[in-house]
Amino acid sequence: MTLTLHHAPDFASTIVRLALEELQLPHTLALADIDGGALSSPDYRRVNPVGLIPALETPDGPIFETAAILLWLVDKTGRLGPGPTDPDRGAFLSWLFFTSNALHQAALAMFYPHRPAGEANSDAARAAAHDQIIARLGLIETLIATQSPRWLSPDHPSVLGYYIGILTRWLILLPPAPYGIDLAQFPHLHTVLAAHESRPAAQRVAADEGLGAKPFTQPRV
Amino acid sequence: MYTLHYAPDNASLIIRLVLDGAGLPYRTALVDRKSRQQDSAAYRALNPTGLIPTLETPVGPISETGAILLWLADTHHLGPAPGDPDRPVFLKWLFFLSNSAHADLRQIFYPHQYAPTDAHAGHKEIISARMNRHFALLDAAAARHPRLFAAATPLGVYTVTLTRWAALYPDQGPSWFDLAAFPALTALARAQEARVETPVIARAEGLGPHPFTRPEQPNPPEGSVL
Repeated sequence: MTLTLHHAPDFASTIVRLALEELQLPHTLALADIDGGALSSPDYRRVNPVGLIPALETPDGPIFETAAILLWLVDKTGRLGPGPTDPDRGAFLSWLFFTSNALHQAALAMFYPHRPAGEANSDAARAAAHDQIIARLGLIETLIATQSPRWLSPDHPSVLGYYIGILTRWLILLPPAPYGIDLAQFPHLHTVLAAHESRPAAQRVAADEGLGAKPFTQPRV
Repeated sequence: MYTLHYAPDNASLIIRLVLDGAGLPYRTALVDRKSRQQDSAAYRALNPTGLIPTLETPVGPISETGAILLWLADTHHLGPAPGDPDRPVFLKWLFFLSNSAHADLRQIFYPHQYAPTDAHAGHKEIISARMNRHFALLDAAAARHPRLFAAATPLGVYTVTLTRWAALYPDQGPSWFDLAAFPALTALARAQEARVETPVIARAEGLGPHPFTRPEQPNPPEGSVL
């Protein structure tokens, strides 16, 4: 299976790269020169008309959207998440979509606060995003504390662990004070992410991209 | 037997159209938004986000519109299965609908969650321009993959229902969305309206005689939209 990941270091494509490394799937990285406008080129828009990374070129054509790629990998390999006939599949999908459309979207509003309503309203947009992020991480914390799902656990690597790990990395590092999150408020999530970041696959990616020894729980640039 | 927790003209409508389109039996359970039943302990036990819909299944409750659609598709063969060469197309547009089109449209429904009141006009302008770009991408995808975006299918129903809300909201001020600008989506709206289940559901939720080609404000016989 020939796989090409359109990638830039420490972007959302890193989430997919972590899964590919964990699965030990051979793949090629196609580095996207984002500042040089690579994502707007006609060639790239043929791969991903939305113009974002990641995109993964597969034998069945290109696939984009971080969570879509993660799920495609789970279904292709039978690993890192429950498959279609697993009784846990419904709950896993619920939280994968939630992470994609609620947690990830709120994180983007935090990192690009001019997007919702212009530069003049960036502070208000950031404050609103912060409240959403804390509430949504709180739901994930409660999920882990009360249900210990196998698909978001310190004992088994999962695509959702890597996805949330990269999001928390950015949520600790990037927001201006006082909006950075403190993972100590989410102890069960902290345990899950600490287990993921210490795996050999995560360590390899972290070393290559310069993410630090604890890329999810004590991130550095 | 499934139980669909719904409110009229909420995202549960998408699930209902797909369930009925596939002939899958289910019960409905009205979530009374007027009394904020979605915040009750009983509902939050099913779905801690408090959002509608939730589908109760023999393997437990499933929340998130996209997750329910994908689970139904895989369980009842309503879309390309894992391993099918169309699976990447199906998954990428399903997630795009969920985290970009639906998430941005939600900003138009609930601007106060995203911007201060005096910025709502500018917010609407920015988000509606973004939404029209999303619809242009969906129109092109639907033209290229007509079978995957057909009426009654997960991607078709999700897309066409978002066009309905785009035409209706916000309910004050000039409209920002013109279905006629998107030929594949216009054809999809006509096809969805021609399905036998559509008028039945439209009556049950008060969506009017042309819920997709000429949407009007909902007037539900029971329950509350907001």
